[in-house]
Amino acid sequence: MRMNTRARGTKTKMGLNFIIGGAQGGGIETAGLLAVKALAMHGLEVFADREYHSNIKGKHSYSHIRASEERIRSIKYPVDLIGALDVETIATHYKDLKPGGVLIHDAALLDKPITKLPPMEKERLERLKAELEKEDIGNTVREFDKWLERNGRIVLPFPFSVIITEKAKLASPMIERAMNTAMTTLLLRAAGMPFATILEAVDALFMEKVEAKELNKAVANAVNDGFNEFSGNRNLGTEIIGKKRSARGKKMLVAGNDAVAIGKLIGGLRLQTYYPITPAADESFVIEQHSSLFDLKGEIVGSPIVIQAEDEISAICMAIGGALTGVRAATCTSGPGFSLMVEGIGWAGMNEVPVVITYYQRGGPSTGLPTRHSQSDLLFAINSGHGEFSRIVLASGSHEEAIDDAIKCMNLAERYQVPVIHLLDKGIANCVTTINPPVFGKIERGKLTEKGAWDYRRFAFDGDPVSPRAFLGDELMWYTGDEHDELGHISEDPENRRKMYEKRMAKREKILKEAPDEDKAVLFGDENFEDLLVTWGVTTGAAVDSLPELQTAGSKTAILQVRMMEPFPVDFVSKFISKANRVISLEANYIGQLAELIGWNTGFRIKNRILKYTGRLITQDEVVKSYMRILGGEEKIVLMGGE
Amino acid sequence: MSTDWNSGVWPDWCPGCGNFGIFTALKGALSDLGISREKLVLVSGIGCSGKIPHFVKVPGVHTLHGRAIPFATGIKASNPNLKVLVHGGDGDLLGIGMGHLIAMGRRNPEILVVIHNNGVYGLTKGQASPTLQLGRKTKSLAFPNINSAVNPILLGIASGYTFLARSYAYDIEHLKACLKQGISHGGAGILEVIQPCPTWNNIVTMDWVEKNTYYLKDWDPVVKDDEDAVRKAQGIIGLESGEKKALGTILIDRRKEAFGKRIASIYKHYDAEPPAAQQVERNGTALPIDLEKTFPRFFIQ
Repeated sequence: MRMNTRARGTKTKMGLNFIIGGAQGGGIETAGLLAVKALAMHGLEVFADREYHSNIKGKHSYSHIRASEERIRSIKYPVDLIGALDVETIATHYKDLKPGGVLIHDAALLDKPITKLPPMEKERLERLKAELEKEDIGNTVREFDKWLERNGRIVLPFPFSVIITEKAKLASPMIERAMNTAMTTLLLRAAGMPFATILEAVDALFMEKVEAKELNKAVANAVNDGFNEFSGNRNLGTEIIGKKRSARGKKMLVAGNDAVAIGKLIGGLRLQTYYPITPAADESFVIEQHSSLFDLKGEIVGSPIVIQAEDEISAICMAIGGALTGVRAATCTSGPGFSLMVEGIGWAGMNEVPVVITYYQRGGPSTGLPTRHSQSDLLFAINSGHGEFSRIVLASGSHEEAIDDAIKCMNLAERYQVPVIHLLDKGIANCVTTINPPVFGKIERGKLTEKGAWDYRRFAFDGDPVSPRAFLGDELMWYTGDEHDELGHISEDPENRRKMYEKRMAKREKILKEAPDEDKAVLFGDENFEDLLVTWGVTTGAAVDSLPELQTAGSKTAILQVRMMEPFPVDFVSKFISKANRVISLEANYIGQLAELIGWNTGFRIKNRILKYTGRLITQDEVVKSYMRILGGEEKIVLMGGE
Repeated sequence: MSTDWNSGVWPDWCPGCGNFGIFTALKGALSDLGISREKLVLVSGIGCSGKIPHFVKVPGVHTLHGRAIPFATGIKASNPNLKVLVHGGDGDLLGIGMGHLIAMGRRNPEILVVIHNNGVYGLTKGQASPTLQLGRKTKSLAFPNINSAVNPILLGIASGYTFLARSYAYDIEHLKACLKQGISHGGAGILEVIQPCPTWNNIVTMDWVEKNTYYLKDWDPVVKDDEDAVRKAQGIIGLESGEKKALGTILIDRRKEAFGKRIASIYKHYDAEPPAAQQVERNGTALPIDLEKTFPRFFIQ
């Protein structure tokens, strides 16, 4: 068992928390990445959420970024700063700004009407209009700004358009393309970031794209000059970023999709198949882009291939085909694709094929919320497929875990010859964070047969539920989705059926017996806890970040992150559950799927449940507030935070 | 030299089933081609035809209904040294799995797809398959078929297949020749085998086949150039529009690159070391990958 986090000291640490938003397709993703990159280059730890619609151009999109001297694993409201590239961002996020916080937008927006927002969801617009009317705010951005200032916020309408055209000498049609870098530069400067670091970040972000790099640098320079003139005699109260911190060793900056891709590549992945789907497809892009694996001498030590299949059925079947040839094979998808893969996973279970399915949950059912977060497929991942077979479902709770688990999943698949579902969520997939580079671990290929062994029996009964594996091309062997004998031929004989069935199912006990504790569940906080929050996936981050506050508010509080969902580590989890005075589940679904799973397995009914199914992340402040409400006697809480 | 190609498993097809003809012709083709048995993989779908790998003494992968092609594609791409054959029925490959059949033509992997075409879903007792003609009523059907038939050869042309042939399950020599040609072809192939189902299809009988098929003569299947490809395609539409089904090799197009070559054009390491030939560990630990060199953009400078 690991004890990851203790209550932190009371010393106030630097913490920057801001939102940059605009219309999708207007460079908002680049703006976020640039900011995150600059903060990381400044030696800070970063965690950034990206929220976007299932749309290419026009709808509202934003990055919510936190930076600190210490590791951060979640987002939190309210924020210190908002950089609004358009009116919709102001209208959407003004309530997210803390008292004394600063809103920055282009001065050119001042006379725009605040409610003329065609891309805004009509429900959202109705709420906005009601708010404006209730508070008698007026109808232009200028009036809105005044109202915000009356309410203790600082508004900085900055002449971006003028500066971009005059100082950076860009033609006015280029303003929109440059606004993202302009805004990021100003936000970071306002927060006290040295300008040199911003320029370095532009270099690092655009790398070999020389033209884009020069354009963005020109814009950054112009905005920086403008900022120095503009803010010379104004105290914004936003000098949050301190001196550059010297890095303690190399750091990486990754999204969850990147993390899994890197893990798979370290872990020996040689065939990745996929069908495009949000929020999984980026992982395959990363694998393609980094398919030449270099050693220290610059020589290629491995080169996986990626195949874009015609659908997810094909993706899982191709991966299984690859695995039969001895290749470490995997696919990645989200709910709708996983639904299609289920029959294939059953075949892999029946034929004891090591194949890894990386499963990024998003809002369902059906197409659901394609670009939004959810943890509502836990029970599906565990129960998918007809009939009974052994599988492993391992859920990562952070980016670092996502890398390690990607390697681990391939080891587990081959060690036990079972399909392994690596369960993640949109939160991990798309959030970007700083991590330590992974440590290379063991590669376990499991039981293999000697080449050329005569009379090979793929499914030999030899006491161990795992039979030695041979690969297509080496030996004579048969596979079938039908019940089969030791050779792999169809058999409906009842005695063989029982033996083969039990051989497959016996792997569950074997897996549980051999799994190290840290793969089962991880406890954070006081070992002598009275209150226990059980959680999983990216939500773990919000819980762990709020732990010091929880410990101040409650009695003795700890967090249990469950990792192995199938086979379920009943004894290990029971040990913690039975010790607690109060157990609270915290997860992003309606039912409380982890709570239910614990209930089925341990017989313990978790009454207190904190749930969220709006498609937005559970935030640190939400965890704290809802925990207080539980302490106040509420049983179930449904969270609503975030836009 | 005669190799014993029988696995020893009793073929449980109905007496008189066309699958016996295909089984016999396949064994003959394998003997003639002299392929080492470990280097061959038979991949099949579900149905009567799907059982064929169990009866042949070569590695066999009996997959899911309609999904033999993706399995085969994954196998071939991972280990291009293997000869891969797909066997499936008309219901399997042209019904539930048709999307994969089309995708395979677009990729052009060196895989021969043998369509056991008997016009019915045999193992579920004779429902209409995608190749049953409109208005026909086989004996299991309550009403005449209300769907038009699909033509696998024309579908093959439209999908980009580079080998197309049609044969007959009871003409062992002809079928064997087509199999040999298809297995040796360096790209995606469809071999449609007209196969009587004596149990459920009372229309496509031996007698019907006799009257409704003919052997191609004076037909050159080999595509010479782009212009010739257009002429061939038009010619094939002509052939397939006739009352009777043509038996023989219909198309051989060697101009298109096979999937393996296309993969190798992207992944430069592929020809030297395809996935199945690559190591993934050294002494039980991960390979010494230089992360900064391999993933430069993820590192903070």
